[in-house]
Amino acid sequence: MSQATATLTQDRQRLELSALSAPAVIFTVGMIAFPVVYTVWLGFQSFSSTGKQSFVGLANYSKLLTDYEFWHGLWVTIALYVLSLVLQLVLGVWLALVLFHAKRLHGLVRSLFISPFMMPPVVAGMMWLVILDPSLGAANYILQSIGLPPSDWLASPTLVIPTIALVDTWQWTPYVALIVLGGLQSLPPSVYEAAQIDGASPLKTFQRITLPLLLPTIVTAAILRSVDLLRFFDIIYITTQGGPGNASNTLNIYGFRVGFEFFNIGYASALMLTLTAIVFGAVLAFNRLRGAVAW
Amino acid sequence: MSDAQTTDRWIRWLNTLQLVVAGIIILTPTAWMVMSSFKPSFEVTAYPPTVIFSPTIQNYIELTKTTPFFNYAINSLIVTVGSTSLGLLFGIPAAFAVSWTRISWPAILTLAARMAPGTLFLLPWYVMFRQVDLIGSYTALILSHAVITLPIVIWVLLPSFDSIPRSVFEAAQVDGCSVTRILWRIAIPLVGSGIAVSAILAFVFSWNYFLFALVLSNGDTKTLIAAAFNFVGEGSTQWGALMAAATLIALPPLLLATLVQRWLVAGLTLGAVKG
Repeated sequence: MSQATATLTQDRQRLELSALSAPAVIFTVGMIAFPVVYTVWLGFQSFSSTGKQSFVGLANYSKLLTDYEFWHGLWVTIALYVLSLVLQLVLGVWLALVLFHAKRLHGLVRSLFISPFMMPPVVAGMMWLVILDPSLGAANYILQSIGLPPSDWLASPTLVIPTIALVDTWQWTPYVALIVLGGLQSLPPSVYEAAQIDGASPLKTFQRITLPLLLPTIVTAAILRSVDLLRFFDIIYITTQGGPGNASNTLNIYGFRVGFEFFNIGYASALMLTLTAIVFGAVLAFNRLRGAVAW
Repeated sequence: MSDAQTTDRWIRWLNTLQLVVAGIIILTPTAWMVMSSFKPSFEVTAYPPTVIFSPTIQNYIELTKTTPFFNYAINSLIVTVGSTSLGLLFGIPAAFAVSWTRISWPAILTLAARMAPGTLFLLPWYVMFRQVDLIGSYTALILSHAVITLPIVIWVLLPSFDSIPRSVFEAAQVDGCSVTRILWRIAIPLVGSGIAVSAILAFVFSWNYFLFALVLSNGDTKTLIAAAFNFVGEGSTQWGALMAAATLIALPPLLLATLVQRWLVAGLTLGAVKG
């Protein structure tokens, strides 16, 4: 084959490969990149009630700084995020260890463990709404039958955040556990054998060997959960819509309401871009952490 | 029996106990939902709650009588199948090209889209779709849900394509096969199971997705998940029908997930965990 035909085939090949990824790229640019740029532009606009729009510069962003609901939403978002993430990581690692030592996982057991996070979050919300009903729910009956006072759960301004965190933890802990289990199964058995020969106790082995080796996997799980938790929406919208009052009004819920209930498109854009920056900031921070704990 | 053996048995017993406790916590709420859906209406809201009752399908009949449940289900099916097909159509060739060229930015671009909050796109989509009069159309819903399915397809398939030995492609090239032909004739048949897993995961997440349909659908195109919000409002006293709806909505994803449970976790992490 001559040099010229070889280059020709290579060019043709490159062209074909670009053509193969073109539909996905064009779709993503059209549905994501362009709309995001448009949102950035919308964030600089103000829309009056008559639909007239005007350029207002950074006014929407300076409004954020003095908007009580924004700071409250940020606090709710972070409280819900930290509480849920810590619960899910701790319980997830525990569950992974239990599953790991069960040796053989029956398909039925695995199906049971994936069932919470495969069901729609909306359904999880509906289900827990009935279970946690303050007057007729099964949860309060259980509390009372073991001698504890009933709780208002989702209807209580002070308990609504922990309650939602619990519902999300019920749904996603098995997911974290299965990720961590994957990490456990890929650990080299030789390190355990060495520890056993040295006579290390099970607790020491976990503390000194398993946990450090597992950290990259745990951080991965943290990243995957962070992305979902920081934009928490479905369960809250179906159960409390941000209430009672504004007690569970996360930034995502607040932004949604500003945009689609009050139709304040410009301000909602500024809110959503700020939330997006927070999500990506968290992902980048965890990514650096993953680099630091890699082995 | 030696001491070590006794301790060993104790540890195994303790582990099984913890597994059972975890299983009960995971299973009980779902079981309660299914159980409530079969309770006679006066018993759903009984307090103290009853565990033994004579099951009835009255709630399911009530649900289909008082709401256009089947229409919602068909809408959900149209949007989910449409967006899953679109995700496969765009995602399979893209994953193949990324795996071949090692140029990963198209894959990362779609993943970044999955990480941003949905409301970020929903605002401009709403304005854009309104201008072309597509609010409430299946087109708008399928396009928006394809944003969910596309990254799932690409990231689940990437490791599958990566695992095909390069020599297979090179041999085909020597025989004069074009890249597109290699994809169709060689690569796709080799990653069949990967495609099945990606399709099922895409289906599940598209089916489960709430936010886009909440805004972009109308009375005629409303999906089950978006309609669930209305059920909650109407059903504040109709727990039986509410739980029947919840059970039926959760059924398709749960059945599909059971089919692929073995391969599910690797797919769900979108390539973040190997093995």
